[in-house]
Amino acid sequence: MSQPLLRRRDLLKLSAAGLLSGASVPWFESLAAAAPALKKPRGKSCILLWMDGGPSQQHTFDPKPNGEFKAAKTAVPGIHIVEQLPQLGQCMDDMVLLRSMKTEINDHYDAKYYLHTGYKRASAFEHPAVGCIASSQLGLPNDDLPAFVTIDAGSDKVNGGRFYRSVPAYLGPQHAPLAVHDPYKGLENLKESGGDLADRLELLGSGEAQFAKEYPLPAVGAKQAAFDRAVRLMRSKRAKAFDLEQESEKTREEYGAHKFGQSCLLARRLVEAGVSFVEVFHRGWDDHEGAAKRIAARAPWMDAGMSALIRDLKQRGMLDDTLVVWMGEFGRSPGDGGGHFCNAWSTAWAGGGLKTGQVIGKTSETGKNAGGTVTERPISAPDYIATLCLALGIDIHQEFTAAGNRPMPLADKTAKPITEILK
Amino acid sequence: MPSTPRIVVALALALLTAPAVRADDPLLERDVLPVLTKQCLGCHGGLRQKGGLDLRTVPAMLKGGESGPAVKARDAAASEMWKRIESDEMPPNDKKLTAAEKAAIKGWIAAGMPTVAQRQKDADPLLATGKKHDPKEVAATIDTHLDKVLNVAKLKPAGRSEDAEFLRRVYLDLTGRVPTAEQAAGFLDSKDADKRAKLIDALLATPQYGEQFGRTWRDWICPPELPSDANGGKQPHTEAQNLGKWLGTRFAAGDPWDAIARDVLTAEGDIKSKPQVIFFALSGEGGKATPAGSARATASLFMGVQFQCAECHDDPYRAWSQKEHWALAAFFAKTTGDFGKVSESRGGGRPEITIPKSAFKNAGNNVPAAFLGEKSPAVKGDALRPAFAEWLTAKDNPYFARAFANRLWFYFFSRGIVNPVDDFRELNPPSHPGLMKLLANEFADSGFDVKHLVRCICNSEAYQRTSRVAAGADEQAVAAMTANFGRMPLRVMTADVLLDSLKLAYGDPKLDLRAIDPKDGNANGESAPVAEPYLEFLRRFGTNEDDATDFTHGIPQMLAMINHPRLLAGSNLLDAKLKAKPAPGADEVVEFLYLSTLSRRPTAAEKAAADRYLKKAPDPTKGYNGVLWMLVNRTEYLLVR
Repeated sequence: MSQPLLRRRDLLKLSAAGLLSGASVPWFESLAAAAPALKKPRGKSCILLWMDGGPSQQHTFDPKPNGEFKAAKTAVPGIHIVEQLPQLGQCMDDMVLLRSMKTEINDHYDAKYYLHTGYKRASAFEHPAVGCIASSQLGLPNDDLPAFVTIDAGSDKVNGGRFYRSVPAYLGPQHAPLAVHDPYKGLENLKESGGDLADRLELLGSGEAQFAKEYPLPAVGAKQAAFDRAVRLMRSKRAKAFDLEQESEKTREEYGAHKFGQSCLLARRLVEAGVSFVEVFHRGWDDHEGAAKRIAARAPWMDAGMSALIRDLKQRGMLDDTLVVWMGEFGRSPGDGGGHFCNAWSTAWAGGGLKTGQVIGKTSETGKNAGGTVTERPISAPDYIATLCLALGIDIHQEFTAAGNRPMPLADKTAKPITEILK
Repeated sequence: MPSTPRIVVALALALLTAPAVRADDPLLERDVLPVLTKQCLGCHGGLRQKGGLDLRTVPAMLKGGESGPAVKARDAAASEMWKRIESDEMPPNDKKLTAAEKAAIKGWIAAGMPTVAQRQKDADPLLATGKKHDPKEVAATIDTHLDKVLNVAKLKPAGRSEDAEFLRRVYLDLTGRVPTAEQAAGFLDSKDADKRAKLIDALLATPQYGEQFGRTWRDWICPPELPSDANGGKQPHTEAQNLGKWLGTRFAAGDPWDAIARDVLTAEGDIKSKPQVIFFALSGEGGKATPAGSARATASLFMGVQFQCAECHDDPYRAWSQKEHWALAAFFAKTTGDFGKVSESRGGGRPEITIPKSAFKNAGNNVPAAFLGEKSPAVKGDALRPAFAEWLTAKDNPYFARAFANRLWFYFFSRGIVNPVDDFRELNPPSHPGLMKLLANEFADSGFDVKHLVRCICNSEAYQRTSRVAAGADEQAVAAMTANFGRMPLRVMTADVLLDSLKLAYGDPKLDLRAIDPKDGNANGESAPVAEPYLEFLRRFGTNEDDATDFTHGIPQMLAMINHPRLLAGSNLLDAKLKAKPAPGADEVVEFLYLSTLSRRPTAAEKAAADRYLKKAPDPTKGYNGVLWMLVNRTEYLLVR
């Protein structure tokens, strides 16, 4: 990633120039012709499975001896996770568990912000979310597919604080995520409506060509390029990436008959089509009344969806280039998981060409407060973000310029990436 | 962050300077400062002064550090800074200066270290101070200032806008929406020679003028994502919108800016009766007012000064000290507030503030309240904010008038006379110093009359120039013209303006472009990923606040415009038009649609194209709906030209 990517505005200028030079060609076709079949730059893709509200580690990936959930063996000798997640246990060869997250913030929104950006929230200053960073670093500026997509996998109860929306901040609005609000419906407004689009485009085209001639300016080129990309996406085979109906019954069943599993499947389709970063969020993990009952109910679909995703990616030869991360904004307090807990919690990673089949970090095993402290390799939020970016092939040492000439390093300078999982 | 075309700015700067500096002389601001900022100020600026050396200003360079003065005018060989740079001793890391950067620094020292700033102070505003002038006289003087620079640069300004172009621009700028078809036709058909000035006056008298300026200021005050209470508390969207409405009412009523500013800065009490109290919590942290946040927002919005760096340390790039920031913050030290109220603790204590632990330098030091740029803290007693507001809004305050005038200029031209708009300082001088003085003087002399200043600007030729680009003009020339205000830039409609214009075109005050209306989310909707229609529209169609010429909409926005069923479902106004007796002909309907969207009549070619399309349509209404769809999807529609 040492080669600087072309800045978006520069590319738009190029497209605008291409557009303006092809005077005799209809405006939208000339742009399509000007967009070469660009190859994806080196770098990987990421599917972030975000359990909004803060999932309990001791009821998932860091079971404790006297805990409410029993530990079960996995495919990797010596690694145990709760027995409620048998299929994920079988995927352990392809996973890394980070059990020593120690992230300082116990409030939902500030923690979501911290774990999405690697920076603590400050007033009057916005940091870009990791998906937006990936979009700016890995995405193709003029692609007909956006580089960052979020998928709403629904909620089983409405709590867990204010919803965090990924904000591109100083990276520019072009890196804002494209939102899929319902995996079953796919991308909103993608389907042609009205029936006579070709006629209307023809009607539009002549006026547009005239305007571009009178105003050969970047804003005009940018609008016409964006419009053209949208039309191209509607008509492209890649638009089918948003359509779950293209999958076989069998595959859809494997992912589980739940919005979460189907969101995982949609995420795989999108990555396959070239999207760099997909965030699937499921809301409602803020289990103040105790995590056991709730997670017992969620485990089957979570286990099915996430394990199917890992297996499917592997089978398609995509797992090495696709990093899957499961997490929330913090974990739950030891015992029944009734409280927010940022001192010692887990995230689960899979694929991404990592050194898998291992556990990083440890939490205390015994005592009244088992799991209450990190005993080995604490991982801070900056450590985590830096590792995630490195794993995707993003240069974490580069600096951006925020408002007021303020230099902003991509990752906080205190970050110590977890190099032991990187190949 | 879009970068400023520095070369162009510098060109403008270079042209302004007094005869002592030739246009080809190297200049600190144009040639040297960018290099120093990139390569040197990190270690020799406000943050760190390694070797005791500070390179932020010429006096500081002359003072030098442990190795003596850093520079000697007209003698590069004897200048310590040059010696170290030439030998690549500096910078110590592996990012050395390029040959061109070195040449710039050497040439600048050899030329006697000329700066634009030193020559700015004598700039002549060309109109006497002490009285309010006729708007047209001010407008003409604005043009004199601009033309002088354009002439020196041998740039021929663009011609006057056509009526249709001006009409749509001034409606969008002053009322935040396009004119109706009737309003558009009325203006276009009027033979009144003074119709433009009259239209400006008429629009300034509408409530929509207040609404538009109120929400513009609301967006300048509010961060892009509003703060919330610590534990996922509610977001004050409604309160922020009410702040915009309150400001709008004040603007519409013609209240002077000093009164509005005082009412914001000295507000106490409950939000129910004083919507402006939310200013403090919005600029604070976690939904609470903080002295540092209030100071930062006040400096940026009312003084044109950036203090965000100086909160924690001396500014590495600007000559503001951390102490100056906290001396300003001390005026807000006794203010507490949240989204519902603001109060002031009374009695006792010196007017001072302790630098909190969060600042990584000088935490724990006490700083007494002091007016920016004035040495002695002249405040007694309890009334800290009133004392500050009184100082700030005084007619001769050096910051207040120019900060507003520059922001207003930025609003119309998408570019300030000083850029960024809140970064007035010695080393970031105005591109047109005389003009800056003229606008600030006129604003102060008019008693901070906002409508008066709007009138002055909108009546200028500069505002009324066409945005069309001369055939064959290259990109550089266009950029130079725009930066020197020799043509109007094309700007992108803000979300508010686009939404109101669509509502008007579709005759649908409740126009909703969401694809779904999610039922989940708690009572306040915080946990729902899709907000209520207005907020959701603002989020999706938000534009680049720093650069209105930057078209940032992408696939999601274009897909909504192309495929959202509402935009194909026709217009209530159109339906009414079609029901009229006698039934209107196709030409008349098409013209009506053009007038209510692009604020002009269709050309012959456009009429013919619409005709061809209408002939193919299965029924006339569907055809007209398609024409309307085409019009709102035009680039011309989404832009302010």
